Amino acid sequence: MGKINLTALRVRQTAINQFASGKISKLPQWVDVVRDIPPSEALIRNRPPQHQLVRQRMKTIPGSSQPQVVLEVQEKRRRSKKPSRLFQPVQLKYEEDELRTQFFKDHPWELARPRVLIESTGKDHENYDWSRLRQPGKRLDGESVVQRQLWLLNNVPDMTKDGAYDIARREFYRIRLQEDIERRVAAEEAEAFGANFGPRYLDIGMELEDKQHENWKEWAKTQAQIVGQRAAALSGAPELATESDLEASTGLEGAEAESAQ
Amino acid sequence: MIVRQLGVRQSRQLLALSRRAPASSRFFSSEIPVDTAIQTPTQESIEPLPIAASIPKAQNPLHEVVQVSQAPQGKWAQWEKSKSKFNSLGSLTKDAFDPEDVIRNPPSPSDITLELLLASGTHLGHSTSRWNPQNSRYIFGVREGVHIIALDVTAAYLRRAAKVVEEVAARGGIILFAGTRKGQKRAVVRAAELAGAYHIFERWIPGSLTNGQQILGHCETKVVNAFDKELPDFKQDLADRPSVKPDLVICLNPIENVVLLHECGLNNVPTIGICDTDADPTRLTYPIPANDDSLRSTSLIAGVLGRAGQAGQARRLKMAEEGKLTYEPITVHELKVDPFTGFMPGTEGQKKD
Repeated sequence: MGKINLTALRVRQTAINQFASGKISKLPQWVDVVRDIPPSEALIRNRPPQHQLVRQRMKTIPGSSQPQVVLEVQEKRRRSKKPSRLFQPVQLKYEEDELRTQFFKDHPWELARPRVLIESTGKDHENYDWSRLRQPGKRLDGESVVQRQLWLLNNVPDMTKDGAYDIARREFYRIRLQEDIERRVAAEEAEAFGANFGPRYLDIGMELEDKQHENWKEWAKTQAQIVGQRAAALSGAPELATESDLEASTGLEGAEAESAQ
Repeated sequence: MIVRQLGVRQSRQLLALSRRAPASSRFFSSEIPVDTAIQTPTQESIEPLPIAASIPKAQNPLHEVVQVSQAPQGKWAQWEKSKSKFNSLGSLTKDAFDPEDVIRNPPSPSDITLELLLASGTHLGHSTSRWNPQNSRYIFGVREGVHIIALDVTAAYLRRAAKVVEEVAARGGIILFAGTRKGQKRAVVRAAELAGAYHIFERWIPGSLTNGQQILGHCETKVVNAFDKELPDFKQDLADRPSVKPDLVICLNPIENVVLLHECGLNNVPTIGICDTDADPTRLTYPIPANDDSLRSTSLIAGVLGRAGQAGQARRLKMAEEGKLTYEPITVHELKVDPFTGFMPGTEGQKKD
């Protein structure tokens, strides 16, 4: 046994040898199973699949009236200088990647929306038709825009990346706006029928802020008292302290009354 | 076929506490799977005792107790009632994802599609820095710093492994499912239940194969006939037998179970296992390149293998009904003979004379 342990792959040979040498009296039941279904060859390196970025475009070629499908293959990357890299897996790249990066760079808050990542059969894509933005059974999200943009790039003649982005984005904004309006109308209807959604986030925020102001007022009162007493003690006239305290407290009370009004 | 009960080994502490060991019934599943019926208390069992019936209600202290045990009361009962009342109302949820579904109704090997494997996340490998270069032939590419396992390779290897499980089950081999990671318990038990196999979902005790006499020696074994019915007449002949070794081990997490695989190698037991991009594929006879960190992925693979085992067991039993045996049976002489002396019991003295 050297560095690589091939015991597991050679179970059948071992069993046959053990039987031949008399170590085991009976061949195991699985010997002919392993003969019929042999283990795969291990430790053989194949050249990993070399992925290439392929772009499909519709282009009007000068001289012909009909636009044609043109497949653009990304230039072959320069082979790595190191031969040791020959058997290393290659990066997977798709055309959508750039589109996705651009969209989420421009709309970072789209990433904050909840999204369903689970598929039960894996065949959801069969129901999608990206000639329109909305899909049955799929929530509208950034991925919809990316797929729509890709469809436009692949299928509309002489479409540019920015043009497709603008079209897909405009459709997306319209649907988002519509969803907002629908939500607002639904809330209004519900309120009209007696639903109570509780305080809004703004109200809760204001309440918390008011509480902090009240706390500060109490703290400021005691601070004013302490400062006044200290000044009185230094000057040796205690009646001054009581006066200043009174002033401070009345002033604060006045301010309080104003704020309440 | 000799089948060994692994139950008592795992629950030694429970036995020490003189408590009824739940593990003993949980640890082996040599029976052909049957759906467990929910035990509902029958009407007879909750009827008041005949003595209690003769005493007037007011004087009988048992009366209250019996009344309480008759039916669920309080909020729970109300909830049950309203549930049954309104169950038919409302909208229907169709095609919703149910994570238990892959455990309850696992697909058969012929239902394996690349889409299903993709949806189950079997293609996700480990970070590229953690790869084992021996796995390079299973890797499709690199995406976001993670190796992606080729799904066609996964499907091919999974089908091949399923075929092996089916054939071994059809020959009456002992199959052991081992998945010791957290959360794999139910999938492992279900797969073993389907395949009529054994399972381990807690730690593999090192030496269970190489030192089986010490670790599993006190466990129960039984002799079964071609229809898997126990033959109790041979019970006394099974004492002092070496512990039974599996014919096939299926490991859902080979990285943690290196000891198990090593012992299988020493005992010449073929192994099937899920081989992630950081695992060593040479440790397994039949590696299945797939993601071993996702429970959905491991549940799917265990379920597929369980279904394959189920098909094999069904084939074996069908052939047994026709009077054919798919394996070489153990003879009565082999069972009766003393494993240490090699003589039939009672004949040693005569031979010595």
